[in-house]
Amino acid sequence: MEPPNLYPVKLYVYDLSKGLARRLSPIMLGKQLEGIWHTSIVVHKDEFYFGSSGISSCPPGGTLLGPPDSVVDVGSTEVTEELFQEYLSSLGESLFRREAYDVFENNCNTFTNEVAQFLTGRKIPSYITDLPSEILSTPFGQALRPFLVSIQIQPPGGSPVGRPNGQS
Amino acid sequence: MARAREEAGDSRLVSGREPSSRIIRVSVKTPQDCQEFMLAENSSVHHFKKQISKRLHCDTNRLVLIFTGKILRDQDILSQRGILDGTTVHLVVRTHLKGTLPGPRTLSGPTGHCTHRSEPSTSESAGMLARLGRLGRLAQSSPDLADFLGQLAQLLMAAPESVVQLLESPVVQGLANEKPANASHAPESSRLVQKPESALKALESLQNPARQQELLQVDKRGLEALKAVPGGDNAMRPVCSDIQQLLLFALAPLVASKGHNPGSELCKEEASPHVNTDPTAIPTALAPARPLVQKVRAGEVTQARCVASNQANPGCGTGMPDVNSGQDLLSQESQQPAGRATVTSQLRPSPSALRRALHVLQKNPTLLHPLAAGSPLRHRMPLLPLLTNPRALQALIQIEKGLQILSKEVPGLAPCLWGPGRPHGTREPPETRGGGQGQRADSVQPTLAVLQLLQALANACSQSTQSSLPSSLLTEGCYQQDLEHLKVMGFANHDANLQALMAAGGDIHAAVERLLGVPEAPVPPADAYSAPPHGEGGGGRGRGGEGK
Repeated sequence: MEPPNLYPVKLYVYDLSKGLARRLSPIMLGKQLEGIWHTSIVVHKDEFYFGSSGISSCPPGGTLLGPPDSVVDVGSTEVTEELFQEYLSSLGESLFRREAYDVFENNCNTFTNEVAQFLTGRKIPSYITDLPSEILSTPFGQALRPFLVSIQIQPPGGSPVGRPNGQS
Repeated sequence: MARAREEAGDSRLVSGREPSSRIIRVSVKTPQDCQEFMLAENSSVHHFKKQISKRLHCDTNRLVLIFTGKILRDQDILSQRGILDGTTVHLVVRTHLKGTLPGPRTLSGPTGHCTHRSEPSTSESAGMLARLGRLGRLAQSSPDLADFLGQLAQLLMAAPESVVQLLESPVVQGLANEKPANASHAPESSRLVQKPESALKALESLQNPARQQELLQVDKRGLEALKAVPGGDNAMRPVCSDIQQLLLFALAPLVASKGHNPGSELCKEEASPHVNTDPTAIPTALAPARPLVQKVRAGEVTQARCVASNQANPGCGTGMPDVNSGQDLLSQESQQPAGRATVTSQLRPSPSALRRALHVLQKNPTLLHPLAAGSPLRHRMPLLPLLTNPRALQALIQIEKGLQILSKEVPGLAPCLWGPGRPHGTREPPETRGGGQGQRADSVQPTLAVLQLLQALANACSQSTQSSLPSSLLTEGCYQQDLEHLKVMGFANHDANLQALMAAGGDIHAAVERLLGVPEAPVPPADAYSAPPHGEGGGGRGRGGEGK
């Protein structure tokens, strides 16, 4: 049997605050945060991410955020594009429906972590997934929580993935 | 060698007493849930898949197991792949086997035996039902279908003539002809036309309750199998909306021909199983059924008839269940009961007129496509007089064509034509145009006109939320990027952001500081720059910047 194809899997990391978090977090939060991280998975020459309107995809670096601030190599996968699309459709109807978006508990990084584990068995770096708890553990973060809860992050530039009947 | 080990692994598992091959606990994770399996570490992946398929009630061919990014082959041994106690394996259940969709007998479930069983038990009658099912574009079956067919079977007992009429109607045949999914549809539909007598005979035979039970048994078994499959959810969701369309479509002529009470019962019977069953992903699709049912119960059968026919016409005519637009249509209709009452009085004596209307709609797909696309122009027009008046229909088609050409040729005209209902972002062009003071403004200005053109085209051609995305993208102009940055940082007030950006001359940092200085007022104060540290340390202004 011929060896199966291996597809590289990358994690694109964006700082949504564009450096402001690094500057201002010591003052505002009392601790140093390097950035407000938004991540996406790049595989099969497409970028996939989860936002307030569900799972979306675009060409790599194709959202309004521009090129990523850093790229992490997650590993390689044998999962084919077709299989991956089926998997994403399933996810988009269960754990990552658009209504299920929660900026703290079920956000873009949750999605990326899930997908990375599916594709390679590895998780994404912990400084990204720890961010919500880092913020919420400060008094300032707690005070801001009611305001932050309604924040909807959806980087424009992508198209929806796997939603039935054209709902998006 | 591997096979011998596999056999040994199996027998060890059965005996459960072999000490050298430990039993391990492996978690199997699907997009929907996570389940644990206990099996020997020396067992094969094939054996593992068999266990999984037993618990999940689906075919092993559709299971794909992935561990650390590698797809597990049947002949692999778990321990060799590094699958130890407590590890997690990912599972994807394919909805289609490669190259084969579940067969022409769409009533049957994914497993083979249902197909075979339905063959001998299917006579003309079941064949008719099967065709009806297919007419709804059911690529795969669902539990709803069994209920629906059961109801239909009862209907057949009660009113065979109307069902025959249903089958003979040009729409049904048109539907059957339209479906490209299966080439066998066309010859079968022509058979439909030519054999009303045999259909009647089939109806009588179907009245035999034993036959009904048989049919339903077969279907239910297969359908339950599909329902239990994790990946089966994927198939069911679009299919359930298909069924919804089929339901409403079937309601229309039936209700029309049957009159008051039986009609209301029909509607109740038809609608209620759908309301009760499980498709969680299409609550919106079910919503139309409720107003429909309520209407009928209120005794306003004629209204329901019109509603149903209008609902059904776009649905069946386009062939693609566009649930949202159909729903819009329906809600639109339900919001205008008064207006419709007068109209329906015109319509009251004419189920045949309805049929003609259906016929005309069928012949004029151009009319239906904008209908289904939910063009705002269409929403504002009372549909019923149009449907029944062929001359009005012709005029409407011409208008629609003209509008499309206009919107393509003269994009600036489109805003005037389509009126409200345009995306929010279109307010921006005058502001950004007027405020183009930023460094990047000059280079972006010439493209603004082009972008607006594209945006108007996108608006004219589609009403989906997809269009609103490019439109907001296109109209923000030079401050687009910065506006988005501000938005993701948590500044929700679009106008304030824009003002701040303009005042700051495109410098996003200065804009942020302005916004922090005066979060509420749209006009930034003159002394904002005098106290930046104070403004930054102030906090509590929704600027947590929490973004994912």
